[in-house]
Amino acid sequence: MPKTVPMRRMPQIAHVDVNCFYASAERAFDPSLEGRPLVVLSNNDGCAVTRSPEAKALGIATGEPWFKLAPRAKEWGLVAKSSNYELYGDISSRVMELLARYSAWLEVYSIDEAFLGVKGSPDQLLALGHRMKAAVRRHVGVPVCVGVAPTKTLAKLCNKWAKNNPAFNGVCLWESVPADVRAALLVRLPVDEIWGIAGRLTKRLNVLGIFTVQDLVNADPVMIRDKFSVVLMRTVLELRGTPCIPMEEERIGRDQLIFSRSFATPVTTAAGLREVFSIYGQQASARLSKHGLQAKVLTAFAATSPFRQHEQAYPSVCVPLPMPTADPVLLTRAAHALLPNIREGLKYAKAGLLLTDLRPTGNQPPLEPFENRHEERGIGPLLEEVSRRFGRSSIGLGHGGIRSGLDWTMKRDMRSPRYTTHWDELPLVKAA
Amino acid sequence: MGVIVGPRVIDAGASLFSVLISPVAVAAGFPSPAQDYFDGRIDLNAHLIKDITSTFVVRVTGDSMEGAGISDGDELIVNRALEPKDGSVVIAVLDGELTVKRLRITRTGVVLQAENPKYRDIHVPALAELTIWGVATRCLHHV
Repeated sequence: MPKTVPMRRMPQIAHVDVNCFYASAERAFDPSLEGRPLVVLSNNDGCAVTRSPEAKALGIATGEPWFKLAPRAKEWGLVAKSSNYELYGDISSRVMELLARYSAWLEVYSIDEAFLGVKGSPDQLLALGHRMKAAVRRHVGVPVCVGVAPTKTLAKLCNKWAKNNPAFNGVCLWESVPADVRAALLVRLPVDEIWGIAGRLTKRLNVLGIFTVQDLVNADPVMIRDKFSVVLMRTVLELRGTPCIPMEEERIGRDQLIFSRSFATPVTTAAGLREVFSIYGQQASARLSKHGLQAKVLTAFAATSPFRQHEQAYPSVCVPLPMPTADPVLLTRAAHALLPNIREGLKYAKAGLLLTDLRPTGNQPPLEPFENRHEERGIGPLLEEVSRRFGRSSIGLGHGGIRSGLDWTMKRDMRSPRYTTHWDELPLVKAA
Repeated sequence: MGVIVGPRVIDAGASLFSVLISPVAVAAGFPSPAQDYFDGRIDLNAHLIKDITSTFVVRVTGDSMEGAGISDGDELIVNRALEPKDGSVVIAVLDGELTVKRLRITRTGVVLQAENPKYRDIHVPALAELTIWGVATRCLHHV
């Protein structure tokens, strides 16, 4: 078992993320994809959202529409897969569960990345990074890179270096990169390579003569705050090694919504967490509705406090939803799938929901019995009663629907099997 | 520091191995007093899966492992965290395919054996040249 390292040094932050996550998750169950150019397509098989390194080498850009790539796919040997969010969600859960064994302080940042609080000498931290990398690869089957630094912004930057520079062998520790090498890298790095800087902000920085990361490091934080924002000032301070980006608790991205909270007082029972998830289900539902989105896959997780000396746990569960939804009742019910994994008596300090496979609401009118207001109309209890009496697959909504994983809303011609969440779609192994 | 990773509900509709086995008296006579104290189902997840995070279920196609009691259509519980040893039933990557074999590690080299005389052994110079995907721990044989 991995051990945390006793230390008197400043705590550091490790940023772990999976290389080309969706493509890597596909390859974990289909080794024939190894070494071949592979793209994973967005909903409705629209655009390439993830590219394997081989696909990048072909010059395929993120967001390139599939209809443009398809005619040349054969010539390139290019394989395309439709998004398989059930698979990605489950693999993500497993990666996070595994990482939680290495640090009691784990912040799931997105479906494929996490920040961990770590301590130790440079040698110990490097060794820890390599242990985590090897463990995720072997236990779950996907490759990760690790960046370790005093701040989140620098840890992200180190991770990028670890990915792009083979000399790091997948793990980059800020402290152990020689100062002159760091300086040379920062001078070369465009400022929009930094976490949180993109688009218009880049242009406005360029106007002020800030083109590289080093320029931004040298900028006056107060000027940055006045001309831009406190957020950007924090970035400058973080680049200088002062941690100031707090735990983010709610974030909505292009294809995922993450909603997590720490509790003022620990929750120690499954009943308590049931209430928590009921509230989170409603709040996540409100966030989705606000952005006009629905989700198809939900991951629920809870974590014990990192600051207490007692048993640690990080239960996590990935639940395919019966249909794309922002319905608080469905989200809550799905989140409750975590409850059997809750150990009574442990002090849970945090819980959260990660919603993925997002798509705009109203692409398709929901079938009558699947309308959101079924609860108000008393249809929910009725469906449950029917299921209870006539078996789970007798009616579409509720668990029967979840189980069959109906996927009638999306065009996903090239989706691989949902290897880890559907009994009918298990990976096949050859006995020949 | 102990870490618990609770059993995961793989499918929200029905836990993979959620089987109700209650202690019901079979023979005539008094009903089992334990019946009144029954407090939970046998959870096959808890008994068959040691490390849920690194455990996967796969389905077998083919008859090359009949001798090991693994038949076409059976499911295997595979733990990716286990170190493959001489004698392990492993899932190995062969020509881009997941393949189930008996692993033999001898002084002369590594052999992937079928458990059926119809199939030939595959010799590998060293374990390092082989990608072992995982180690099978249980076979869910259909009877």
